[in-house]
Amino acid sequence: MVFSDLFFLYVFLPAFALCYAAAGAADRLRRSPEGAPACSVRNLTLTLFSLVFYAWGEPVYVFLMLFCVAMNYAAGLLVDRCTRRRRAALAAGVAGNVAVLGLFKYAGFACRSLAALGLDLPEPHIALPIGISFYTFQSISYLVDVYRREAPCQRRLGGLLLYISMFPQLIAGPIVRYDAVAREITQRRASAADVADGVFRFLVGLGKKVVLANQLSEISTAFLAGGAPASTLAAWTGIAAFTLQIYFDFSGYSDMAIGLGRCLGFHFPENFRHPYCCTSVTDFWRRWHISLGSFFRDYVYIPMGGNRRHQGLNIMTVWLLTGLWHGASWNFVLWGLWFGVIVTLEKYTLLRVAQRIPRVLLHVYSLTLVVAGWGLFYFEDFAAMHAFFAAICGLTGDAADFAARSALTDSFWLWVAALLCCLPLRRAAATLADCLPGGRLLRAPAAVLAARLVLSVALLAASTALLVGATNNAFIYTRF
Amino acid sequence: MSHNKAYIAVVGTIFAAAAAVLDFFPRSAYSELEKRELSAFPVFSADSLRSGAFTRAVSAWFSDTEPFRDAFMTFSMKLKDWQRLRTGAGRVTFHAAEPVAAAGATADSAAVGGPQPAVVDENARIVNSGGIVIAGEGGRIRGLVAFGGGTAGCKAYADAANLYAETFGPSVRVYLMVIPTAIEFYCPPSAARCTRPQRPVIEEAHARLAHGVRAVDVYPVLQAHAGEDIYLRTDHHWAPLGAYYAAREFARVAGVAFRGLDAYERRVVRRYVGSMYGYSREIGFKDAPEDFVFYVPHETSYTTTYVDYTVDDSFRITAESRPHGGPFFQRYRDGSSGAYCTFMGSDKRLTKVETSAPGGRRLLILKDSFGNALPGYLFYSFEEIHVVDSRYFLKNMKAYVAENDITDILFANNIFKASSPATYRNYVRFLSQPGTVPPRPAAPPADAADAHEAAPAAGLPAETAAGNDSITAS
Repeated sequence: MVFSDLFFLYVFLPAFALCYAAAGAADRLRRSPEGAPACSVRNLTLTLFSLVFYAWGEPVYVFLMLFCVAMNYAAGLLVDRCTRRRRAALAAGVAGNVAVLGLFKYAGFACRSLAALGLDLPEPHIALPIGISFYTFQSISYLVDVYRREAPCQRRLGGLLLYISMFPQLIAGPIVRYDAVAREITQRRASAADVADGVFRFLVGLGKKVVLANQLSEISTAFLAGGAPASTLAAWTGIAAFTLQIYFDFSGYSDMAIGLGRCLGFHFPENFRHPYCCTSVTDFWRRWHISLGSFFRDYVYIPMGGNRRHQGLNIMTVWLLTGLWHGASWNFVLWGLWFGVIVTLEKYTLLRVAQRIPRVLLHVYSLTLVVAGWGLFYFEDFAAMHAFFAAICGLTGDAADFAARSALTDSFWLWVAALLCCLPLRRAAATLADCLPGGRLLRAPAAVLAARLVLSVALLAASTALLVGATNNAFIYTRF
Repeated sequence: MSHNKAYIAVVGTIFAAAAAVLDFFPRSAYSELEKRELSAFPVFSADSLRSGAFTRAVSAWFSDTEPFRDAFMTFSMKLKDWQRLRTGAGRVTFHAAEPVAAAGATADSAAVGGPQPAVVDENARIVNSGGIVIAGEGGRIRGLVAFGGGTAGCKAYADAANLYAETFGPSVRVYLMVIPTAIEFYCPPSAARCTRPQRPVIEEAHARLAHGVRAVDVYPVLQAHAGEDIYLRTDHHWAPLGAYYAAREFARVAGVAFRGLDAYERRVVRRYVGSMYGYSREIGFKDAPEDFVFYVPHETSYTTTYVDYTVDDSFRITAESRPHGGPFFQRYRDGSSGAYCTFMGSDKRLTKVETSAPGGRRLLILKDSFGNALPGYLFYSFEEIHVVDSRYFLKNMKAYVAENDITDILFANNIFKASSPATYRNYVRFLSQPGTVPPRPAAPPADAADAHEAAPAAGLPAETAAGNDSITAS
């Protein structure tokens, strides 16, 4: 099940909201000795609905997730209780998670790659469990945080099951580290402000996904998925649409996850900060999929030595893993290394002189490399990738074709809306309100409430209408 | 009440109301817009639950059968229309087809085999072509399905006609009519590269015809009348007037009598919006309905007999009815989107029309839905007219031709269908099939592949309840 599915929106979510509200009432009757309401009934409700949510899409692999939870629960207890062999217990736990990820995500890729080298290994045909990359990384974060004493060991299996399986962020992140929510699993409260902000955030994310990403995906698919683009304009149109699509697809999901979490009293980390406003590729990665970047920084880069020793190797390792995390295919490896090389070069060149370069040039430079990166990311087939880059450089096909021109004019306001939504609009609106003569009125709480209401209802209505009969609705990142 | 609570109350109320409507109001069962039956609730089985197919199907069913579905879709089309840049110049836009998995073409090629692998490969590409050019605005809007076939695309179709001529010998005259589609005559120059020329394809087919097969070249005839309403603006079919000119050309080639339109009563279904609305999801079609004009012969008597076929989800015939009478021209009210089914009402039937025409000529028409509009103009020309759809025919063709003393066989398919390997395959199969309802095979049959292949590239429905079929299928 995905968030942008009518069944989720109008069957699962209302049923969950009713049951969770009833569970909240039950919890309030069972206050803890400190006077704070307990969370046990709400947690039980959330866990049960999370399992249904996951099993709806993965009726068999839900048992794999349960196995992983049990494995990490045992490993966490060992890490916490052992005094002499904590490191070994941690290593075993991490190895178990990596083994699960390796078997279900990378075994086929490894066999195909070895076969290409002449080693004829039978390829296991294992379907990729949805969200496995996210929940195994969360499991690793749990073990490492317990090992580092940055978070308490979860002594209740149900608590760990809730952390791993929580449906708002289960299948496409953000990667919520255990120390960020450990306390909220047992003690949390959702105020009216939390719920209002959460609902608004959820609807904004829904709009990003359904109104922007889904429609942009029709354009990117038309120009990228059918073989070599017919013209240079077609190649640029396709990759521009994909660039915007993947941002609104993934950030839309993150918004919905963060919004749902807020409604439940959880505070998930931000995952995006206007990445296409970056001034360097290094800056881009500080703004894009922040939870993955911080995971690799804290759990791989720094433990390997960070910038204290063999930094180049550490950087390239992190980027190789970043690429591989996104998919078991060589184009993802290439994509990761592409950014690894650029980030390394920027460290010794651009970042030292960036202050003296006009910002507009930095934006153009960064976006060109990022968009080229999406070209590597999109095409798993290297022949198609070659044809795409040849077309985008004007080496094949015509300069422009009718279909590409049509895609630009037919969806003109979609492009405008998408480009605007890449910018920090809220900040811009606040600045604008300050500058206007009646700006104070615009910033009055009643005006903000009215604007929020209008936007929320419009997004809900538009998303519902666009989802009826929709077929291209999967989130890109759920396949990672 | 705080602002946050006010926000929660308003949004929560609206959301609850929407959920109540979508969850508890009667669900939609048929889409007038897309002209198709909507999904049925999936059948539960342990296997389907284990594989995830059941839950996926439940989600798909829920999304497909929303209450007020067509109203929601109309709203979503308006949303998309608002995104368009209005420049004031003559509008020409393109709706790209969704890419079709390569596996489809491979399965098709594998299923066909036979003596024309090159032809098959080329035809497979046609099925994967697609896209819709939309030209004009307001009352002049016209939808045009892009043609992706190569020049050799109809060779197999010509081979089928040759085979029939060889099978039935000189006692039966065989004719071949490849019907061009609207994009050939109305494509704006700016969109010319979205489609391939159809004239060379037709000429190539004609050049391949054996000595005993006569070409009915309707291309120049239609081209000469392109200024008239010979193709529907809002539908992928031609208009009955286009079929009239084609029938006249056929009568000339066949050497039979033919009556002008003064021998017909002109009837009109007003406010007709055809298939292009659902296919392109372009609101402009709904806002610019057209008149569906057809002609009913009034100076001759005729009786029509039908044999209806029951077809399963894989488009396999599972049963046939007893012959029964019925009107040839069906009645549709103004505003009905099914008006093209005026002729015989459906493709899933075998039709026999007995007329009072002298001369002893008996015609068998092998057709798709384009061909449905032809027979009505031939009631003055042939004593009997038998109409067989290229997808739905259960009898043995050799026996059928002999039993009914057929003297003329006309292959009349539109260029998309004529370029489809499934059409050739079906026509060849008709000659040898046993003439009974086949037992249901355990594995998906070749015909199921045909049905999938016939599904159009642009994600269009493969079959409709009203018998009005899809672009490449028709």
